[in-house]
Amino acid sequence: MSENIHERAQQLISQERIEGISASDNTWLATHLQECESCADFARKTSAALRSLQTIPIALPVGLAERTQFRVGLRAQQLRQHEPRRRALWIAAGVSWATGVASAPFVWRLFAWLGEHAGVPKLVWEMGFGLWWAVPALIAAVVLLSEHEKQSGERNWLQRSQ
Amino acid sequence: MKDENKALAQGLQRRDPELLDRLIEQYQFRLFRYLVYISGDRTRAEDFFQETWIRVLERGHQYDGKSRFEGWLFAIARHLVIDWQRQRKVQSLDALTDPEQAHPLQVKDQHSASALQAILNSEQDAQVQGALHEIPAIYREVLLLRFQEELQIDEIAGVLGTPPSTVKSRLYRGLEALRVSLEAGVS
Repeated sequence: MSENIHERAQQLISQERIEGISASDNTWLATHLQECESCADFARKTSAALRSLQTIPIALPVGLAERTQFRVGLRAQQLRQHEPRRRALWIAAGVSWATGVASAPFVWRLFAWLGEHAGVPKLVWEMGFGLWWAVPALIAAVVLLSEHEKQSGERNWLQRSQ
Repeated sequence: MKDENKALAQGLQRRDPELLDRLIEQYQFRLFRYLVYISGDRTRAEDFFQETWIRVLERGHQYDGKSRFEGWLFAIARHLVIDWQRQRKVQSLDALTDPEQAHPLQVKDQHSASALQAILNSEQDAQVQGALHEIPAIYREVLLLRFQEELQIDEIAGVLGTPPSTVKSRLYRGLEALRVSLEAGVS
């Protein structure tokens, strides 16, 4: 029973630091710590361990913040330069999609008419129509992918420096 | 606090250069210290530090201002270190710390009043560092986030991507391990 009391006290000492304890637990613990030297010692060691964590100084490399600010500034500039191009690409893709949707019935008829006159099998001109629809999206995807590749290439400095 | 975070989120969305400069200065010590501890390598921590801020710039629009900025910042930093580990096919954070090659946690006492004090402080620091290295990395990390960075349990859970209950259990075990390790060091 008495062991349980010490276990409870030590549990509360940790809990108080980690997630907090209720006022009644706090009162009980304070009373117990006044009476029990080994639990008080446990509390002191816990405090010392945590204080030691908080007080370790780590020297910052000289000019780290300035170097970082410079790099971030350069990257921000790059992003600003790419932004109008990217916006234009999205607008073009949007316009192309809207035009594609609006003109689809006419283009379908056109493909059918051409296919009939040229004697091309139905499957072929249907595939032609599909391609006509997919090409703008494919171009946009290729441009975006190439941009992404370029960016990851620029950022692979971290891997290369290993 | 919420308003501050909202303003921060808006600034990050705009990629406000002054805001970024201020944040880099404000968080330089805490972020660098965290990176040194989790990567176990000061030189590498410098690279991670810079790369973290590049990511903050690029992905600033993803920060919604609902939580504290430091939680989001540490999560980015942590992912970078984990990606680097994966590239190196290292299985655990502990495996990154090679005491022969890297000298993580090199401590320089900048506030020593005397030579004797400096020696005493450095001995104490070395003891704490030693104790920290005895602890498994998953425990060390939560202890640092909770007691150095003073993040709340749910914020730590956000950084680690684990449930708060896991964070709590790691904290209890980590605290116990730290106590044991420090005691062993003293004796």
